[in-house]
Amino acid sequence: MRHRRAPRSVNVFVLSETIEYLEKIRPKLRFKVGYEVGFLCPDIDDIVQETMARFLIASQDGKIRNPEAAGAFLHGICRNVISEYRRRSQRDEPMPEIVPEPPSRTLSDTERFAYREAIAKGMEQLPDRDRKILRAFYLEEKTKEEILRQSGLTDQNFRVILCRAKERFRQIYLEQTQHRAVSGH
Amino acid sequence: MSSAWHDDPIVREHYIRAYLNRRLTDEEAERFEAHYLVCDECYEEMQATEWLIRGLGEPVLERKRINDVTVLRFVEETQLLAASLELSELANAVRMQKDTKVLIDLSKVSRIDSTGLGVLMNCYCHAVKNSGALKLLNPDAPVKQVLSVTRVDAVLQSFDDESAAIASFQSLPS
Repeated sequence: MRHRRAPRSVNVFVLSETIEYLEKIRPKLRFKVGYEVGFLCPDIDDIVQETMARFLIASQDGKIRNPEAAGAFLHGICRNVISEYRRRSQRDEPMPEIVPEPPSRTLSDTERFAYREAIAKGMEQLPDRDRKILRAFYLEEKTKEEILRQSGLTDQNFRVILCRAKERFRQIYLEQTQHRAVSGH
Repeated sequence: MSSAWHDDPIVREHYIRAYLNRRLTDEEAERFEAHYLVCDECYEEMQATEWLIRGLGEPVLERKRINDVTVLRFVEETQLLAASLELSELANAVRMQKDTKVLIDLSKVSRIDSTGLGVLMNCYCHAVKNSGALKLLNPDAPVKQVLSVTRVDAVLQSFDDESAAIASFQSLPS
């Protein structure tokens, strides 16, 4: 795991820079919202859009006093939008008439297949022992100490296994993200 | 918190794992979210971990049903030793069965020790207590030898042919 960029602050007083910043942050915001409301929720993109719109207005109105804390500010707005969404969902009566299904905003079958292929390829590259160690850590949520005791690995071995696997999957993630961006999805 | 992340990848992985498995408190989760919104590196690491977890989530054991018998088979080459993480998977898979006619395919198991035998016997007891049975399929030569030396083979029947093994369950009540 290499260390790359440190968190960068944005000049929220320049409109073009704020828009660029928000577009860059959109996938992260989408993940955060999906994490909160469920990744199959059909309203994820609306919540993200509303959050970004409020942030943009706040930045233009000079309400963000500390640009260094823009991330925390954006997070706060997002939290409010999600709370409002939840309150509205609980309050609103079910729709009286049958409305057509909205277009799917989740992955298409082709994309899902490509993702599965990429993940399977990544898994194939991992030696059996590494897989077992990683399963114990991520799925069984064992502590590092427990794993070292059970497997006889040293702390250094454990770090190497973890970092090697993470580096592979980070590459796979980046490749898939780029592929998705190029194909316009 | 932020410097702890960047200083030690293992600490960060602990945090990411806890976040993805929803083990963080609301406050911790919010702090992490506010951080990854502005930190590309942590976000990428989290996404990579999510993908890795998805890959790891593929089952260790394959399960198929033939008539009313559940056949469990290891997906990869494995060893059923004290240190093997597959042992708990196997024990859970058998205990989770509602029906208790279980055939364990050992063709991918190259070694077994006393702990492995203990788990097999526990699984067998679970099946028998519930009026079922547990049998073994295709044990490798070294595994067969251990089963024979310890006389476990007198209790746990082994078969080299799947259809014969399935047929042997027919005498049991369904």
